[in-house]
Amino acid sequence: MQNISFSYEAIPAIRGLTLHIEEGDRIALLGANGSGKSTLLRILDALYFPSSGTVTFKGNALTEKQLQHDEFSLNFRRRVALVFQNPDVQLFNPTVFDEVAYAPLQLQWSKEDVIRRVQETLQVMSISHLRDRSPYRLSVGEKKRVALASVLVLDPEVLLLDEPTATLDPKSQSQVVDLIQQWKGTAKTVITATHQLEIVEDIADRVLVLEAGAVIAEGTPSEILSNTGLLLRANLIHAHRHFHDGIMHSHPHFHGHSPHEHEH
Amino acid sequence: MHIPDGYLSPSTCATFYLFAATGWYAALKRVKQLLATRAIPLISVFAAFCFVVMMFNVPLPGGTTGHAVGVGIAAIVLGPWASILAISIALAIQALFFGDGGITTLGANCFNMAIVGSFSAYAVYRMVAASSKLSSRQRVVAAALAGYVAINASALVTAVELGIQPMLFHDSSGTPLYAPYSLHVAIPAMMIGHLTFAGLAEAVISAGMVSYLQRADLSLLRGVSGLAQAPGAIIAGAGTEGSAGRLSPGRLWWAVACLMLFTPLGILAAGTAWGEWSSADWMNPHTREQIGAASGNHAPPSSVPSGIEKLSTVWTAPFPGYAPRFIKSPAFGYLISAMFGVGLLVLASLLARVAARKWPGRNLGT
Amino acid sequence: MSRHSFLESTLQGFTRAVSKALQSEHAATQPGLLQQLDPRVRVLGIFALVISVILCRRLEAIAAILLVAIAIAVASRVSLASLAKRVWLVVLGFSGVIALPALFLTPGAPLFVLRYATLHLTITVQGVRTAVLLVLRVETAATLTTVLVLTTPWTHILKALRSLHLPAEIVIMLAMTHRYVFLLIETANQMFESRKSRTVGTLSSSELRKMTARTAGVLLSKSIELSQEVYLAMLSRGFRGEVRLLADFRLKARDYAGLTAFLFTGCVAVWMGR
Repeated sequence: MQNISFSYEAIPAIRGLTLHIEEGDRIALLGANGSGKSTLLRILDALYFPSSGTVTFKGNALTEKQLQHDEFSLNFRRRVALVFQNPDVQLFNPTVFDEVAYAPLQLQWSKEDVIRRVQETLQVMSISHLRDRSPYRLSVGEKKRVALASVLVLDPEVLLLDEPTATLDPKSQSQVVDLIQQWKGTAKTVITATHQLEIVEDIADRVLVLEAGAVIAEGTPSEILSNTGLLLRANLIHAHRHFHDGIMHSHPHFHGHSPHEHEH
Repeated sequence: MHIPDGYLSPSTCATFYLFAATGWYAALKRVKQLLATRAIPLISVFAAFCFVVMMFNVPLPGGTTGHAVGVGIAAIVLGPWASILAISIALAIQALFFGDGGITTLGANCFNMAIVGSFSAYAVYRMVAASSKLSSRQRVVAAALAGYVAINASALVTAVELGIQPMLFHDSSGTPLYAPYSLHVAIPAMMIGHLTFAGLAEAVISAGMVSYLQRADLSLLRGVSGLAQAPGAIIAGAGTEGSAGRLSPGRLWWAVACLMLFTPLGILAAGTAWGEWSSADWMNPHTREQIGAASGNHAPPSSVPSGIEKLSTVWTAPFPGYAPRFIKSPAFGYLISAMFGVGLLVLASLLARVAARKWPGRNLGT
Repeated sequence: MSRHSFLESTLQGFTRAVSKALQSEHAATQPGLLQQLDPRVRVLGIFALVISVILCRRLEAIAAILLVAIAIAVASRVSLASLAKRVWLVVLGFSGVIALPALFLTPGAPLFVLRYATLHLTITVQGVRTAVLLVLRVETAATLTTVLVLTTPWTHILKALRSLHLPAEIVIMLAMTHRYVFLLIETANQMFESRKSRTVGTLSSSELRKMTARTAGVLLSKSIELSQEVYLAMLSRGFRGEVRLLADFRLKARDYAGLTAFLFTGCVAVWMGR
């Protein structure tokens, strides 16, 4: 049983939050930009430490001191992985192969294990053909896949995804969603921060809505997504307007799962 | 200001590698202590930034090249030690990939631009900005001055290194083996280009950046202590508020001591500097030969030019020829005179600071 | 828009030049002489030759090393045309201009006198020798360094430096700076493009200066932000301050032979050129 609980205040980005996450949970953090989703994910990944309150992972408190112990750090970094919103931030090695090999190398795996595992991962993510390419010259979709590969290579137990589908074309987007769906029912815990409502149903069983650093609602995807007032307040939907045949249609809604089509 | 391979003799290269290595070692220790591993991406960013700035250079005949460095803003935001590392890294990459600056002269280049540059920029900035508000105009002026002084200090040291080459390293026929221009050509050649174009460019960059940061992200101007904390959160591995912000008197004295050690170089300017001859020199056949050689092989006039004769009695300096009479060795005389001169300067600046503190209406605090 | 587009085209040309120069070239993958040697031997060997260039006192010895450098280049499949473009012409342009006045300013035995109206310029023997000596040294050293860089991938150079006991932090910083230069240039390009599309009409020179200063400021800010993010990403993947690379260098017999050859050539040249 995995238990993350924390409450903290006083960080400008997050205020007074208490959360329990169990192993195998698939959670979506919904919120507009600036609502604190990214900060929360980083706290979960022990990159930021709350100015008050505690974060625990499997019974161990995540503090700065703890993370400085080699054994604990190596263990934690392997089991919890964060994929950043901006893939360029995660791609700083000379080739894609080196990039995916970075994490296991840091965790001191043997060279043979590293090479074997990297090749496997590249294949799973269908990017083997990119292995000797320079990360600067990839398309956004390819970069995101490399970034994902670079954390999946460790086979982590907890995956923290920061806006995994933002700026992606529909095809790449559905590929990422498929990947996340694969983990349904497994022991992997996935926490996804996103503002794209259309993927929420597929990637999560539980939704938390954030606004200005606080959780303003919690529930199942269907509960949250049907609450139009809440969504408007959290700045997650907009009044969509299109113009055809000389008539202006206005619908306050979001582009849901079923393709948005009108009969014209 | 990058010195390529072949401009400096092996012994000069080795000496400056030694100086630079000491600087690097000290800088690395300091940076690790203050910023831990967090410094690494930050220094790399500044290194990349300075790299780009330095790429725009023009050749200065008689010297090497003239360009801005970015040392002003680097020293202000990173502090002098991290700035040393940032600029040295930029220089190393330029040397390897662009032949901008040589491999054997990397030590000297780092000493000139990274070490001398960073410390001068930092010292001037702290002295002029003193304890004014982070967002005040005084800081912008301080940054401009810091950049300007740093570039020219670096250029001066570079010019000296180049200028002493022909004197010290030539073959039996008098052919200079490395940089061929002596101090009287190298110094003006380097300084004119930097006192004008390069110095101004650096001043504009430093001032522009500081003014931008004042509006965009004030915390970066707090110096090293500001960098050790991320806005609003505590990042793993952050350092503690270091004392790197203050220019302590101890450090100032170190800088002064180093400066004084350089003064005997003045002696090496074989005989007397061009144009600084006394009337006695004109009559002495040995010095006449030197004058001729230094002046494009024109023979000097046979008698002392009348103007020099008349004016030479107007002012007799207390230390004529820089050597108080009771000191026999010229080298020692130079050192004493330098100490005296520098002592006067330090005293003057300390008095200025005291006076400034007593000035009414000053903004104190950050 | 003329001043604006000048700045832009300079920046674009510059960007292209830098990108090309920083990326490992085709030659690095070719089966040439240098490519067969362990990167550490390459680094040490080339550096040894560069040192011997500055130790030599005679023109003939330096010229000999230059010929050796060119021979190595050819044997390592480095195109002489690219060397000429990258090194020889550039050095001639910079150091040539710098060395030119030495022809006239160096005291010594006059060789040639140029007369033009009242202008009297004496070219001395020593002047010619010193100018040639300078330019030749720079050309040779630059050729050697460039051949090394063109035949060795950047990561291998870094790993070689690390095994030669350069501190880990410095090696990481070199690697990251290399990466950031690209990002910086890309960001700068993007910013200039977006300004261009938003600017109507010509900019005055003071406006241009302000825009450049502001652009530089934004660039710096973004870069610092980026560096903080990259640091977090590195931590997240287990970074704890050590450089760990995949490549594994092992010295073979031919590496020892290569190293010996380099050192021998250097010593011979220095001895002959003393």
